[in-house]
Amino acid sequence: MSPLYRILLLWRRQWPWLAAGAIVSVASVLTGAALLALAGAHVAVLLMGATAAVGAMLTALGPARVVLRYAERLVTHSATFRALASLRVWFFRRLAARSAGGLGMQRSGDLASRLVADVEALDGLYLRILVPLASAAVLLLVLLAFLVGQGAELWLPCLGAACLFAVSAFVIPGLAARSAQRSGVAVTGANAGLRVAVLDALSGLREVRMFGAEARMAEGVAARDWEAGLAQGRLATRAAFAQAGGFLCAQLAIVLLLLSASSRPVSAVGAVFLLVAAFEATSGLSRAGALAGHAAAAARRVLDAAAPPANAVAEPATPVDLPRSNALRFDGVHFRWAADRPELFDGLTLEVPQGSRVAILGPSGCGKSTLAALLLKITSPSSGRILLGGADLASLSAEDVRSRFGVLSQSTHLFDDTIRANLLLGRPAADEPAIWRALDEAEIGEFVRSLPEGLDTWLGEGGARVSGGQGRRIALARTLLSEAPILVLDEPGAGLDAQTERAFLKTLNDLPSGRTLLLITHRLTGAERLDRIWRLSGGHAIAAAA
Amino acid sequence: MASMSGQTQGGRDWLRAQTKLGRHAARPVVMFGLLNTILAIIQGTCIAAILGDALVIRAPAAAWAIAGFCIAALLRAGLSVASERVSVRNGSAARQRLRLDVMSRLLAAGPSLLRHEHSAALTTTVVDRVDAMDGFFARWLPASVLAIAGPVLVLLAVAAVDWRAALVLGACGLLVPVAQAASGIGAAAASRHQFQALSRLQARFLDRVRGISTIVLSGRAADEAVALAQAANELRRRTMRVLRVAFIASAALDCALALALVVLAIRYGHAAVTHRLNTVPALFVLLMVPEFFAPLRAFSVAYQDRAHATGAAEALATVPPMPVVAPVTAAIRTVTAHGVSITFEHVGFTWDPARGPALEDISFRVPAGETLVLAGPSGAGKSTILEILLGFVSPQTGRVLVNGADLATIVPEALNRMIASIGQRPTIFAGTVRDNIRFAKPDATDKEIEAAARNARVSQFVESLPRGLDTEIGEGGYGLSGGQAQRVAIARAFLKNAPLLLLDEPTAHLDPATEGDVMDSLRRLSVGRTVVMASHAAAVLSLGNRRLDLRDGRVVTARGAA
Repeated sequence: MSPLYRILLLWRRQWPWLAAGAIVSVASVLTGAALLALAGAHVAVLLMGATAAVGAMLTALGPARVVLRYAERLVTHSATFRALASLRVWFFRRLAARSAGGLGMQRSGDLASRLVADVEALDGLYLRILVPLASAAVLLLVLLAFLVGQGAELWLPCLGAACLFAVSAFVIPGLAARSAQRSGVAVTGANAGLRVAVLDALSGLREVRMFGAEARMAEGVAARDWEAGLAQGRLATRAAFAQAGGFLCAQLAIVLLLLSASSRPVSAVGAVFLLVAAFEATSGLSRAGALAGHAAAAARRVLDAAAPPANAVAEPATPVDLPRSNALRFDGVHFRWAADRPELFDGLTLEVPQGSRVAILGPSGCGKSTLAALLLKITSPSSGRILLGGADLASLSAEDVRSRFGVLSQSTHLFDDTIRANLLLGRPAADEPAIWRALDEAEIGEFVRSLPEGLDTWLGEGGARVSGGQGRRIALARTLLSEAPILVLDEPGAGLDAQTERAFLKTLNDLPSGRTLLLITHRLTGAERLDRIWRLSGGHAIAAAA
Repeated sequence: MASMSGQTQGGRDWLRAQTKLGRHAARPVVMFGLLNTILAIIQGTCIAAILGDALVIRAPAAAWAIAGFCIAALLRAGLSVASERVSVRNGSAARQRLRLDVMSRLLAAGPSLLRHEHSAALTTTVVDRVDAMDGFFARWLPASVLAIAGPVLVLLAVAAVDWRAALVLGACGLLVPVAQAASGIGAAAASRHQFQALSRLQARFLDRVRGISTIVLSGRAADEAVALAQAANELRRRTMRVLRVAFIASAALDCALALALVVLAIRYGHAAVTHRLNTVPALFVLLMVPEFFAPLRAFSVAYQDRAHATGAAEALATVPPMPVVAPVTAAIRTVTAHGVSITFEHVGFTWDPARGPALEDISFRVPAGETLVLAGPSGAGKSTILEILLGFVSPQTGRVLVNGADLATIVPEALNRMIASIGQRPTIFAGTVRDNIRFAKPDATDKEIEAAARNARVSQFVESLPRGLDTEIGEGGYGLSGGQAQRVAIARAFLKNAPLLLLDEPTAHLDPATEGDVMDSLRRLSVGRTVVMASHAAAVLSLGNRRLDLRDGRVVTARGAA
């Protein structure tokens, strides 16, 4: 299925709006054509020396045309923006569905470019292609109808003019679309490359300064900019030639009528005016063909980034209900991240009873974080089973499974928002005392209280306005605030000084009973109160004394 | 970045300077436009002659008129292609010039920008704001000249055959700029707001996408989608507000055109009744009405581009200017030969007055080749001291001396050459591990890179990967653990081989075995260098013979650092 067609299907809910826009637009174009044709005929009659009153028809058409034209612009634009907004939301949902484990090799700047610039490029699909095409089809019928009404002397030139109109409205745009396919891909790619280069340099400003890479980065951006300019120039040239072709069709049609004007002058003048109106209404179509190439490339980029990845964890067709119990069990689990990577787990079996406090120990690279990814259905074992409350994770929906877990991972993100908003992410309905309790448990309450704006302090990009250790503790507080029955803390002590770390681990000991705690860490401080300790080694878990 | 209140002086001056720059390049487009109007007048003359003959004496079309019409049509088609190509080239050249300028200014302003602005918002300035200037150079500048010259040409031609008709046309034409000005003021303000909404939408989306895993795992993806829908709808509402006003101007133009046609038709109707009508001139005048309004229509469309440019001008004018380069003093040139000594004299610094000072009256001295450890809880001011040394921010009170020279007098490039630094959260770019290490020294040989990787124990973990150092890693270090990313940063420092080493919690994310390894590497790296290290890890403290304990931005105890 062509990408543009798929985008149209995605706009299903906006179809009424889009159809309304097209209808108003066709009405406006028809009024315009009628106005000019009648005015032409009227003038011709006058010039022949006959007297004629300005018809009521003509006086009504003028204002109607102005009003319809304004309405057309408003309705079509509004419909477009509705369609684009819904496409953006759809894109985000699809992206979220495939990105539980992070962006992987995708670039955030590239994705932003798809969401903003590529979706934006699709506005031409409706405004500049579909709507004018509808008008052109109706106008072609009108031209043919006009043809039938003429005397035999004008049939031939009128038929010729109608053909030329069809060429300029349908054939040239089609050819332009085909020839612009490659430059369309180049333009979307170059634009995204430019945005990624700029974002890379700006989000890496620290590294850029440290290594004196300013000139290098600026050069990189300039090179991308040049590429983008080149691609756009190529596309614009195609559009310009298409436009010139459309213009010549219109001029040739006028010549055809002028050549036979003497036989039926009044009709011929009316026909010339009608033609001028028809060609003007669709004058944008010829160049829009080139846009279609761009829009198709943009559509493909949007759809590609939203498509589920090849290695996605399949959702069960009919997920079973979540069991009551929160006991976890790994049963002979084998896993490797890629076929060419070594096997991380080689029959891993371990148990975490409901409400227990368990630590999983091991050096870096032994698969501790992978354990969390398996539990959260970010990835799935190649063989063996993982059970939650006795039910195989493979038979549960990912969303249900994740609702049971509160996670602090090494890549937990702090959002460019207030401390409050960052915390509420874990539990939107949490009240103020609960938030402060979580902050205190994470040993950061005192610091937040000392801030003049307290909970409403803005954290900045990735928590840039607080230190690394403070940011880490705010992320911890967010996890503690969540009401999930199983807490998974992956290296909660990272970035904390020894004293703070011990104090924090002690507060963990006071967690309400019934909550399972899974501590994934490379070492124990001795402050933790644990029921069980597993040591990961050589792809197996070995029970150690608690 | 743009201020909400009216246009700023800086923005106006900036736009004026740009206009001067762009006018010259726009000259061919103006020329093409005028030629096009002249050809249109010729075509009008031909059609009027043909139709006049047909209507009055029922004569077939004269050959000269048909030929004239066709030649003019071909020329106009050629002109439109040429004009379009020059316009596009002008717009794209101007964008590239502006983008390089803004980008260089942002890069020169440095990392302190990121404390107030999201990198996505800055990116919007560099990408979208500059793109918004395209129409200003490609369309607005020529259109603003043609909007006067084009209609005047047509009026002269019309006046030659019927001066009263020229008056009518001229009067109707005057309505257009009046309506444009009235709606244009509103359009400019609305366009500014629209751009802010677009910029906010982008920054929000980018931030959410970077943390998308956190959102999904918290079960909040649906809520975020709703929030995004609201932001997108807000953008739609703002855009429609711009367009509602902008479309009024086009409607006014439609009205003016219709008015001109009606008045002229009535006038010629009367003349026809009284049999005093000259058919050919009358036809010519009527045919010229659309040509008269065509440049005005282009002007009206380009007015939007001007509105966008006004908004962009303000944002671009607020980007900090390039710093004035201070003259290099003699002391700096000798720095590398003798090692680097550091002296802080009563240094004070405040990030945010509401939060109180981050550093207060800090004094210490590190002789060349020595190591100083900055200790204290997070938020004590350790990172701020390092940021000052890195030159990201300048002390607000007191001064910092590097080999006796005031830090403020050292050019950033010279300072950069002296310093290697490893931060808490090193930026890892998408690309291979090798490229990421090479970032520290673009002309490094593979041998040098491999040596740096070995010294930083990067080899240890890449050896197990099928493509070794050429393994691709994702943005933000996807595919690497925190400790591994840290070791890539250490490899960069090895590669850079600078005399002053600044370390900000270099072992915060490492397990004990790796921490020991990395400490070994760092110990080797510190030989013969001056090191300032912020840390709270006990293992690291053993490295330093000098130590400064900080709390709330003040020195608590100093050992060997006074």
